[in-house]
This record gives sequence, C-alpha cells and structure tokens, in this order.
Amino acid sequence: MSSELGTVAWVFRRELGARFDSMSALTVTIVFALVAHGLYFFLGHPVGDLQLPSLWAGRVASLQVVFAWLPLLFVGLIPALTMGAWAEERASGTEELLFTWPVSGRASVLGKFLAVWFFLGLVLTVAILPLAIMVSSLGNLDWGTVFGGLLGAFLLAGACIAISLFLSSLFSEQLSAFLSSALLLGLLWSAGLLVHVMPPGLADAVFYTSPYAHFFDSAARGVFDLRDLIYHTSLMVFGLWCNTLVVEGRRWA
Amino acid sequence: MNMIHVQGLEKHYGDLHALRGISFAVERGEVVGFLGPNGAGKSTTMKILTGYLVPDGGSCQMAGIDVVPGDPGSRRNVGYLPESTPLYRGMRVDRYLDFVAGLHGQERAERKASVGRVIEACRLGRHAGRRIGWLSKGFRQRVGLAQALLGEPDVLILDEPTSGLDPREVVRMRALISELGKEKTVLLSTHILSEVEATCSRVIVIAGGQIVADATPMEIARSGEAELTVVLRVPQDQLTSFSTAAIGRDLAHVPGVSRLISSEDCGGGTVRLVLDVRRAPGSLARSGEPVAELVADTLAKRGWKISELTRRSDDFEAAFLEITDPNRMAMAGPLVRGDVTGPTDSESPEIGSSNEIESLGPREGNAEGEGGNA
Repeated sequence: MSSELGTVAWVFRRELGARFDSMSALTVTIVFALVAHGLYFFLGHPVGDLQLPSLWAGRVASLQVVFAWLPLLFVGLIPALTMGAWAEERASGTEELLFTWPVSGRASVLGKFLAVWFFLGLVLTVAILPLAIMVSSLGNLDWGTVFGGLLGAFLLAGACIAISLFLSSLFSEQLSAFLSSALLLGLLWSAGLLVHVMPPGLADAVFYTSPYAHFFDSAARGVFDLRDLIYHTSLMVFGLWCNTLVVEGRRWA
Repeated sequence: MNMIHVQGLEKHYGDLHALRGISFAVERGEVVGFLGPNGAGKSTTMKILTGYLVPDGGSCQMAGIDVVPGDPGSRRNVGYLPESTPLYRGMRVDRYLDFVAGLHGQERAERKASVGRVIEACRLGRHAGRRIGWLSKGFRQRVGLAQALLGEPDVLILDEPTSGLDPREVVRMRALISELGKEKTVLLSTHILSEVEATCSRVIVIAGGQIVADATPMEIARSGEAELTVVLRVPQDQLTSFSTAAIGRDLAHVPGVSRLISSEDCGGGTVRLVLDVRRAPGSLARSGEPVAELVADTLAKRGWKISELTRRSDDFEAAFLEITDPNRMAMAGPLVRGDVTGPTDSESPEIGSSNEIESLGPREGNAEGEGGNA
C-alpha cells in the first residue's frame, strides 16, 4: 500500500509539473482571474435564482458574486485543465508505457485527479484571495463566508474534475474531451435555469442531482453544509471509479 | 532458467484473431529477434509480455514471475521500449528518468545512482538537462531505452528500437543492444532483416498470429529456396545404358529434394542435374540430416561419381518472404531450430568436390565490429 501511495505521489508530481512547465498554467490563471474580477466589479450576477448586483452597484463587502459565477466559469475552466490528462497520454502512446511500469490504474487516476484539483485550488486562491483582501480594506468583509465559499467551490471543483477526467479517458483527442465535458458541465449548470419550466416534481429531482444545487444554496452564500460534502465526495469517488474502470479496461481491448 | 516463457497466447481484437496460440521460451542472455510482417502480432505479443494487454488465453512468465496485468509487481523485472517511443516531451531528460525511477519504488540515493547509470549507459550525458521534445529522434530513442533500463530488469522488450533512425544512429543503437545483451535477455522486434543478422542469436518469425519459424538467422537464410546442382560422371560400364531421366527420378525421391528442376546430358558420360531442395513438408531434412549427404549417398550406391556439388541458397530476405507466406505455412508447418541443413553439409567428407556457396554467412564478426566502434 505504501508503494501505491508512493506512485500516486509520483504521478501527482509529474502532472503538476507538466502544468507548470507549459505556459498554460499562467494563461489559465490570468484569464480566470481577469474574468472573475470583471464580473465581480462590473456585472454582478443577474442570472438564475441568485441575483446579485456588482460591487460598484451594490456596494456590499461580500464575495458572493464571484462564488455565484464559479460554476459557470468551471464549465470552461475545468475541461481545459483536464482534457489532456488522459486524451494526450492516449494519443501520444505514453499511457501504454505508464501501465507497463509498476503503477496501478487506480494510483495513476488518483495522482492525476489530485494534481488537477490541487492546481485548481491554487488558481482559485490566487484569483480570489487578493480580491478578498482588497474588499476587506474597503468594508467589513465576513471572512467566514469567504472561506466557506472557497471550501464549497473547492468541493464542487473536485466533483467536476472527477467527471471531466473520466470523460478525458474516453477520448484520444483533446478537443473531443474538452467539448464533451464542457457540454456535460454546461448542461448540469443550466439545469438550475430549466427547473422553472419543468413540472415541480421533476424539477426538484433534476436540480437535486445537479452538483450546482449543492453549491448555490449553501457555499455560494457562504454557508458550509455537511450534506454538500457527502454529495460531492460521492460524485468524486464515482467519477474516479469510472475513470479507473476505463483505463484498466483498455488492457482487455 | 527461461527468462521468457510464453505458453499458448491467444488474442482477439473483435473479429480479428490476432494471436493463435503463440508459445516460445527464451533463455538468459539470448538476444532474440522477433520478426514478422505488419499486423502479424509482434506488438500484441510484446504488449502482453509487458503486462499492458490481457491475453484471451495462455500465459506468460518473465524471469520466473507470472505476468498479471492488474498487478504492478509482476512487471518489475521487465524493461519495455514501445514502438514509436512515447515520452513526455515537455519534461527534462533527467527529471523524466527520475520520475520513472520513482515509480519503480527507488529511494532518493538509489534513484540518483540508477539515473546516472542509465544516462551513462545510453550516452545521454550532454543532454540530461534538455527537454525531451527538443532532442533528435536518435536521442529520444536513447531516452526510451534508458527508461527501460531503470528498474534493473532482467528482460528487455524492445519494439522496433531502430525504426526511423539515421544509419549512424542505427549502428549506435545496435551496438548498445548488443552490449546490453551480454547481461540481459533481449527480445527485439524489427522489420530490418539485416538488424537481426547483426544483433540476434536467434529469430522467431511470426505471421498471421502464429510462429512460423524459430531458428538462428543462418538457418532461416538457408531455409529459403535452394537449389542443389550436381554434376556427376556415369561409370564406364553404365555409359551405354544410363538415362538422364532415370537418374533424375532417383534423386527426386531423396528426402529433402522436392523436385528435379532440370537435367542435362553434357556428353562423355557427364550429367548435370539441378535439384530443388527447398524444405519440403515431412522431409528428413527437418530432423537435421543434410540433403546434400543423402544425394551423395544415393549416387554412391549407384556407383556414380560426383564431380561437382553446389548449393545455392537465397538470402535472408527471400527466406523471410517465403516463411511468412500464408500458403507455405499451411503446407510446411513452422520452421524450428535444427530443421535446416547445417553448414557442415558442405564439408561432408563424402562430397569431395563440394563447393557450397553461401550468399549469406553468419555475421557475428560484423556485430562485434559495430560494438567496437561505439
């Protein structure tokens, strides 16, 4: 088991290193921060049930607007971070070599997942923390809601990453992996808007199964709910399990 | 001990029956060439041996350990260089090798030592700090070989290690493989037949998912189409009664002779016969008895004297083409070691004036020469 943890750590290190080695890490962070800040300062969140004014319009010392936008930003951000994780390995043939080294499918799936999750955590922190510091200098910011929101966003990201990585393992073209997972995450996000045109029973069921339902009502408002933790953790485990089945299943091709 | 032991491997890809019961064994220190046309099943076999693919039937052991695809521990003893050398091109050579050593469970000091050793062995020293993607194809191939050596494996599986390299790099890579073959068991696949002759002590030829030959490179070369030309003198007492056709018929019945190609009466009691001695199914030659000796025996019993006996065998490539021909396989069965008449048949004392022409002799000296240059 200890050697398996060791291989998880090595896969994690390599994946994370690969992200920092290329310019993509810097680009993604900058674009994400610019978009989040622009929305926060100028647009607010005029979409769905959680309607919020921008900072300049509302003049409230809160980061709720940013957290409310995160699910939609994840629809573009997470597929961009995960698309290469398996699709590129498969296209270049490195996946074959990886599985002839003493590495289990489970360990490599977990290593890749943790690397993307950790990287996204860094991007979130780098983009949101300076914002929080600035706002707290302007007004009375409730840091509890900031950390609650960050934690909730981190959990939501974990679930979305696990799903996206699984989709990446199904393709050998990065573009297909990106499009399919952006489409799926986008559909899940829009479920929150579509519930208004659905029959009430169906709407509840659809909304409750969407990862975003477990974010908007709690973490986005700065509340940390234990049920969200359980929900997102189960989604992560399910995504990683499917991912392991797919990569291990290729041995039977 | 057999370092590679393969028993009855079967593999299907949908409707395609890719492997049809492959069995072979390789002993420690052998460098075995794995040959076959495209799509013959070479890469599939190698992927099964390295634990990447699960066979539909059969089993394999590497260095005495059963290869279990789900069990990472069972592949620690095998180094693998896949076709087209997939590498993480964004990584530096030394960091990449450090990563692979880490996956093999090596601690820091051990990693440092083993990475240093493979960098030295594959002569990557000057490029250790460079990104893999910036290296030339030849150096990338060396990085691929270096990673295969990291776990100190007893067995190396190399899938087309010289494909796409320039001639100078090919020579270097072959020298490197020959060097490694002194300590390790090597199974290498290739399309380049001269490579097999230069580096391998044994050849396994696979076609249509089954083994069609398992022999030394020279035996393979000799198994190709071959002709035996016999010039004989008829004794004085039979000068008036002999018939060229009758002699031809006699010789055509000798085991190992498949037919009489031509017969010619040169006058003065001298007859020139050309016999087809390509390996025929069920012929005695399969058990190693030289055809030339049998022909000489037959002639001696009749009291006829041989004035010239010449064998012309085609080269390795022709033999390869013939062995891997699907029609031949159905007819003759696989070619195994000892099947083919050895080099000694030309030196048989009974064939006084034999003059065997080998279009392709053993090339061991050649391989050593390359090794010495590097």
